[in-house]
Amino acid sequence: MGEVELSCLAYAKMYLHASQFPRCSVNGLLLSSSAAGGAVCITDCVPLLHTHLSLAPITQLALTQVDVWCSQTQQRIVGYYQANACASDSSPTPCALKIAEKIFEQCNNAVLLMIDGEKMFPGCRVPPIVMYERKDARWALKDKHTIMLRQWEETCSIVNQLFSSGDQALLVDFDSHLDDITKDWTNQKLNAKIMELVSPANGNV
Amino acid sequence: MSSISELYDVSWEEMRDKLRKWREENFRNSEQIVDVGEELINEHASKLGDDIWIIYEQVMIAALDCSRDDLAWSCLQELKRQFPDSHRVKRLAGMRLEALERYEDANKLYDSILQDDPTNTAARKRKISILRAQGKSSEAIRELNEYLEQFVGDQEAWHELSELYINEHDYAKAAFCLEELMMTNPHNHLYCEQYAEVKYTQGGLENLELARKYFAQALKLNNRNMRALFGLYMSASHIAASPKVSAKVKKDNVKYAAWATSQISRAYQMAGRGKKENKCSVKAVEEMLESMQITMS
Repeated sequence: MGEVELSCLAYAKMYLHASQFPRCSVNGLLLSSSAAGGAVCITDCVPLLHTHLSLAPITQLALTQVDVWCSQTQQRIVGYYQANACASDSSPTPCALKIAEKIFEQCNNAVLLMIDGEKMFPGCRVPPIVMYERKDARWALKDKHTIMLRQWEETCSIVNQLFSSGDQALLVDFDSHLDDITKDWTNQKLNAKIMELVSPANGNV
Repeated sequence: MSSISELYDVSWEEMRDKLRKWREENFRNSEQIVDVGEELINEHASKLGDDIWIIYEQVMIAALDCSRDDLAWSCLQELKRQFPDSHRVKRLAGMRLEALERYEDANKLYDSILQDDPTNTAARKRKISILRAQGKSSEAIRELNEYLEQFVGDQEAWHELSELYINEHDYAKAAFCLEELMMTNPHNHLYCEQYAEVKYTQGGLENLELARKYFAQALKLNNRNMRALFGLYMSASHIAASPKVSAKVKKDNVKYAAWATSQISRAYQMAGRGKKENKCSVKAVEEMLESMQITMS
């Protein structure tokens, strides 16, 4: 089907989220600030939960709040990501499929992204992600050649820099926000740090 | 690289006390434990007295958590030397094998402990953890149920079982486990709130009413529990919006939801004071509350 572009910002935050909670399943929403139609450009993401992914109330709450925030900031929810606690199993869980289905109702080229824990080690040359798209009423594996990750090397180095500077600890997910509501789940501070590292010469990475 | 004591300007006694605090409160801040513990062991071992053995155990487990097999191995060697026939040390050796994903060898070790001492709960729980790590949820659930028939008071096990059931979407059984926990820990707001979340997830009017009651109970026990506050708001709103309720029930729930709204707004206003960063999250909540009020009235 269509092409999907994954920005450095979105990738970095997903990776940081999964790394922050290595013993838990984590999930989040993928956002786009570009108009609908054509390729799907995932420009940002919101990390959501690291506990009880399959329980309804907090998930519903988070989806509603992110929806509101998106309409305030001209973004759309275009997908969902999840990293399973069991690193060797990167298949979508029923909960992942359910949420992805809900997103698909509003966005007909929604993507479901599973993080492959086994490929999350330093020096891995392949992006640790598996993407699914809606095809014939089910979620099917997306052709790898339709997934664009511009400046992959640079993205990796940015992630490494975030770890070495300790800035990876700045990441706040919705769960952490509920534990302390002074923490910002839109991650403005971390976003700024990441955009600083993305070199200006590369345009919209 | 400077040492912990230099970086944070702390004495070895303070480091030792910090480790004890983390041990007593069962924190899993493994990177910190490794940093502090490794330095304590390398630089101040002689001053620690008999504390050193429990510190070796604590640091070893944290080291396994951080893939520091070198450190875990050296701690294990010290413990083996000091306590050659100990089941407790054998269990640690088993945990190291688990960390290396040598599950068969780990199981053999635990089985040998259980042959010697069939009541050894630690070994049984490690075996269940292995099942979990291997993704064998139904077997883990079965073993844990058997374990709990014998050791009915093991809180940790009940909670682990509730987590397993939640992951398998078996909410009724998860609720049962949480009921056990609430009975024995009536002042624990987290169990109330988790129970309410499970009930909410099960859905239907009766479960929503139960959910609302238990969110309210959680708030009584801890009025800063934001999940409970939001949960109360959402369950009351859903009940009020249901066509199946009487006018009185609707009125009551509108009142509960309105109360929750004011508490949430207040909490966010206090949180947002003076902090530029979370203006976005504050605005999102405000708008969400407004829009949901409109659909309810």
